[in-house]
Amino acid sequence: MKYILMMHCPRTGYDTFGAWPKKDIEAHMAFMLAFNKALRESGEWVSGEGLADPKQAKIVRAGKDGLPITDGVFPESKEFLAGYWIVDVASPDRADALAAKASAAPGPGGAPMNMRIEVRQVMSGPPEQNSCNES
Amino acid sequence: MKYILMMTGTKADFAWYAKWSKTDLQAQLAFMHSFNKELKESGVLVATEGLAFPNQAKLVRAAADGTPITDGVFPESKEFLAGYWIVDVETPEQAYQLAARVSAGPGPKDRGNQPIEVRPVMSGPPPEML
Repeated sequence: MKYILMMHCPRTGYDTFGAWPKKDIEAHMAFMLAFNKALRESGEWVSGEGLADPKQAKIVRAGKDGLPITDGVFPESKEFLAGYWIVDVASPDRADALAAKASAAPGPGGAPMNMRIEVRQVMSGPPEQNSCNES
Repeated sequence: MKYILMMTGTKADFAWYAKWSKTDLQAQLAFMHSFNKELKESGVLVATEGLAFPNQAKLVRAAADGTPITDGVFPESKEFLAGYWIVDVETPEQAYQLAARVSAGPGPKDRGNQPIEVRPVMSGPPPEML
């Protein structure tokens, strides 16, 4: 079963992260690299990406002529995707356990961040119409 | 340059989507299939995924002992990721063009062009952070 693990942050999240002491950033990055390596070694890794600073995000819509209209204004409350992993695991519990590992990534002073990770199944194809209904 | 194109929606948006007529859903799926095929054939597609509906989403955080604490409560305003494309293009404008195509994809008559969030994908942390 494929699951996506998503890290979110506010628009200024990367500024906060960038202001951490250098050794804390290095410890965080080392954790992420080791986490990724362990996923590859266990065969659970499907993909993973880190996204650029939310300040580079644009909202794009098609105008009447189909051409893109871009806008960089977001509500204050908007959560931005900072990065994600897609893992192929044997059970939903395993996806939760991996999310908990990522959640405990080291933060300032090396303390576990215990950040919230959103976990959701990834579909391999379009859902049947009946399964779309919110229950 | 790699860009991610993200489609998002609130739970209310997903509930509305679930009520689209079969014809509208089929037209949208046909559009997505041909769009994906075109991206693949032109060599710009890196990855694309559709996510399960938000009623399956959970928030997980580690307890003090590292075990997962799961929670399914989200604010009403939460925009859930519905799906994404990662494309490898020469310029941001090309990424915006592709986003506009998705934005204008088919749907019920009363549906406006949907907003698509576009952002560069990093291959690693920015050098100034290391």
